[in-house]
Amino acid sequence: MSSTDKTDGMTTARSFQTLAWQLEKLPPCQAQCPNSGDVRGWLGVIAQHEKNGLTLDEAYDEAWRMIAERNPLPATIGRICPHPCETLCTRHDKDGAVSINAMERFLGDWALSRSLSLPRIESKSYPETVGVIGSGPASLSFAYQMARRGYEVTIYEQRDKPGGMLRYAIPDYRLPREILDAEVQRILELNVSVANNSDVGTTIGLDELRDRHELVFLGLGAQAARALGIPGEKGPGVLAGIDYLQQRKERADSLQDQKVLVIGGGNTAIDAARSARRDGADVVLLYRRSEKEMPAISSEVEDARVEGVKFRFLVSPTRIRRERGKVRSVEIQAMRLGDPDESGRRRPEPVPGQLECLPADKVIVAVAQAPEWNGMESLASTGSWLRTAADGKLDINLWAGGDDKGPGIASSALAQGRLAAESAHAELRGLPAPPIEDRRKPVPGGTVKVDYYTDRARTELPRKSPEEWLTDPEAEIDQTLTYEQACEEAARCMSCGLCFDCQQCFMYCNGSGFTRLKETRPGHYFAMALDACEGCGKCIEICPCGYLEARQGDDHNDARQRSDP
Amino acid sequence: MRSNVSSSGFERFEQSDTSNDVLKTLQDGSRIAVIGAGPAGSMFSYFALSMAETIGLDVNVDIFEPRRFCHRGPAGCNHCGGIVSESLVQRLAIEGIRLPDDIVQRGIESYTLHMDVGDVRIATPLQEKRIAAIYRGEGPRNSELIDTHSFDGYLLGLAEEKGANVIPQLVTKVNREDDRMIIGCADQTSGSYELVVVAAGVNSRLLEMLEAESLGFARPDRTKTFICEFNLGRDVIQETFGPSMHVFLLDIPRLEFAALIPKGDYVTLCMLGDDIDEDLMGRFFASPEVRNCFPGGEIPKHACHCFPRINVRPSHPVFGDRLVMIGDSGATRLFKDGIGAAYRTAKAAAKTVVFHGVDAETLEQNYAPMCRRIGRDNLVGKFVFNIAGLVQKARFARRGILRMTANEQQSEGNRRMSGVLWDLFSGSASYTNVFIRTLSPAYIAGLMWNLVVANLPGSDARTPSVTGTGKHHVQH
Repeated sequence: MSSTDKTDGMTTARSFQTLAWQLEKLPPCQAQCPNSGDVRGWLGVIAQHEKNGLTLDEAYDEAWRMIAERNPLPATIGRICPHPCETLCTRHDKDGAVSINAMERFLGDWALSRSLSLPRIESKSYPETVGVIGSGPASLSFAYQMARRGYEVTIYEQRDKPGGMLRYAIPDYRLPREILDAEVQRILELNVSVANNSDVGTTIGLDELRDRHELVFLGLGAQAARALGIPGEKGPGVLAGIDYLQQRKERADSLQDQKVLVIGGGNTAIDAARSARRDGADVVLLYRRSEKEMPAISSEVEDARVEGVKFRFLVSPTRIRRERGKVRSVEIQAMRLGDPDESGRRRPEPVPGQLECLPADKVIVAVAQAPEWNGMESLASTGSWLRTAADGKLDINLWAGGDDKGPGIASSALAQGRLAAESAHAELRGLPAPPIEDRRKPVPGGTVKVDYYTDRARTELPRKSPEEWLTDPEAEIDQTLTYEQACEEAARCMSCGLCFDCQQCFMYCNGSGFTRLKETRPGHYFAMALDACEGCGKCIEICPCGYLEARQGDDHNDARQRSDP
Repeated sequence: MRSNVSSSGFERFEQSDTSNDVLKTLQDGSRIAVIGAGPAGSMFSYFALSMAETIGLDVNVDIFEPRRFCHRGPAGCNHCGGIVSESLVQRLAIEGIRLPDDIVQRGIESYTLHMDVGDVRIATPLQEKRIAAIYRGEGPRNSELIDTHSFDGYLLGLAEEKGANVIPQLVTKVNREDDRMIIGCADQTSGSYELVVVAAGVNSRLLEMLEAESLGFARPDRTKTFICEFNLGRDVIQETFGPSMHVFLLDIPRLEFAALIPKGDYVTLCMLGDDIDEDLMGRFFASPEVRNCFPGGEIPKHACHCFPRINVRPSHPVFGDRLVMIGDSGATRLFKDGIGAAYRTAKAAAKTVVFHGVDAETLEQNYAPMCRRIGRDNLVGKFVFNIAGLVQKARFARRGILRMTANEQQSEGNRRMSGVLWDLFSGSASYTNVFIRTLSPAYIAGLMWNLVVANLPGSDARTPSVTGTGKHHVQH
């Protein structure tokens, strides 16, 4: 046998190895979350609490702290978020997505019931002070992230209480004000003060604040209701959706037996319609496209229907008619859907000649909102919204986030506030700029072995029965998962792209290449000895969550290097 | 199972456990945990449930198996060459287990023995003595086998039909608590059983973990083997390999046995020996006898490979109180017929626990003797393989065997050498049986004669030649 032969043989034996490699990947829930919440991480702490020597109480505490890294308002967001995190959950097509939103709500309530404090990052304090204009979710997020890093923060709020749209636009039956109060209070405890009734732009100038603080964050929101621009819109009997919702927060007037038309297809329109039902009105919601194009949360639309809100799709109001100063009717134009517009939704077009008159006593217009500039129009030099860098920077020492940059869900506002704070802190401290995007590789489709996981039905959020919804109109409809339910629901998480200790690689590796770590935590259970790897690739194929992946034989040395911490 | 430790049956069992006799046998409602759903675990479950049925005993069998045999590649596979000897096929048929056509990848009708001095085809000794080539899982990685299914999956299905309950969880703990066995799984669930049957093979860390739990036994000794799959396509395989298993007797240290087994679109290479490593594999792949089996004399890329461990010395003892080790986890035949040993141990264990009892003493009396017989036969087997090893090293001996076999294949007389080789390669007979046949004067006389003639100057056999197959050319 010649040495050449031997070498060839060796090549044959060695070169087609499938070398395994542990690589944490970005799970679909986190990829879909605007605030990039570590959903898999905090579900894992609960699901795997026994493995890691935690009691369930401790696990819930820890899970809440992990949420609070990016979201200081879990009890609030757990109630109002349309939870995009659940849409691509790998479990979705098997037996229903993990009830992430219900879990977040549970943990939010858990932390409030245990009076847990928000986690600080640094115990020292820096000399720089920070001013925050507005106190909606973007501002609260920014204030929290700066305060926990050691900055003194002052929030300048136009109204008499902080919370912004969370407080003034979301009805109590969706978000009880005590919950919001408690979660805001927890932020204020981190060296954050609020100057209520501070009308920045009028009573205090922005420049003054920029002089007063090393850094200012703009979270103005979008509080100005856009008008329809149709005859009869100005005058009594017609009001904006957010104004109606805000008024109701202080005093709900009876609309008993009145005909109320709500115009719009977003969440404000739905909230207004449902609130008007609670006030006793006969409510019809008009939307110019079809139901499919409605931007409102679909479950909210369903609930509105249950409560008796009537819907008219593909109609647009053209005139509001009054008699003796009172609204009597609204003339509507039938629409049809044309080609898609820049939002991807099909553009509504009038159907010529098809007009109709609907009787009405009151009209609530909730079509769109825009920032109230209050003398600061020059900031939005290029259009109706603020244009910032990706991290939220608008100018020297001026940062912005939230709906003043364009409409979005509360979770997006939290993200913008957080990213701005991370970036602002780095700038103040001369640190490298933090990453905006999650650079981890997403879990490739099909790598999670769905059939490995035992079928377990999704725990739906407990709710009051529909008969009770209107009898106790301000009481919350959705309820919180129980202590036991939350633990069971967390165990449904498939931990896409991160080790959850199924132990199969350890158990079945022919070469005993996996060693259990002494200190374990979710994602960290086994060390891999690449020298022991026999290249069969079994562990990769058997790994249910897609944490183990293949590296080709020629990458052997590369893999070896990367495994060294 | 899991956390609801007190199934109704178990409560009854607890209430009636006043005498020791009750404790030592299975009762109505008794729970049996079977760890692993390979052939041993599935056949044990099948037999235990069948036997219990005959005496009107109502027992629960939970089979713990987290893997899915419907997955292709090593994940859904239990790693072996995939040979079921005809004697086993027939024994299974008697038990009511008839292997359906979609399980058998190819019926093997002959062995082709490759040596440096030539090669010879050994036809099946009796017409019906064929061999079935199967896949333990759903086939090699990325394979697209149509209408073929996993052997292990099929047996598991039979056990399920008998009423076994498959729990897709990985067992990570087995504890003894008073008179109960507690099974703990990776997902933190646990359950209580009257009997634990370990059928986890030797390619899992479970035995190592159980040994550390001081359950009073030492795990089997193991050695490393190599199995890989070459995708050559059905037509090429038919033409190059035919319905024949190709066995190599080569002068490579530590290599006991190597074979190429045709199956559908793939041919499986199986190498057994003393810790197969890359050096040994390199020598094997470089040898002309191997290369020439493949089209163009080139070893193609393999689709799938693994280095499974095999049991070379039984666990000792193969039982404990309410604990019994079967298949590779207990005792198996050296190098060959692992599925046959799984069948024998599974059936013996089932018989013991259903008809006699589950305590250590009963298992010692009724189950252990069969495992000891396997162990003794393996000692003979080791001796036989040592002789084969000497033959591998001695060219003159190889010539003699080649000549004797080739002559037997061409005549109608008594095929002593062919029969010995067939049974040695296929595992169809016990090593003791094979060895006794080699002691027969006729065999020895035949071998002596052939050794002399084959090594005479000018003998045909001295120049390597084509014998039997008519297809393979040995090149020097």
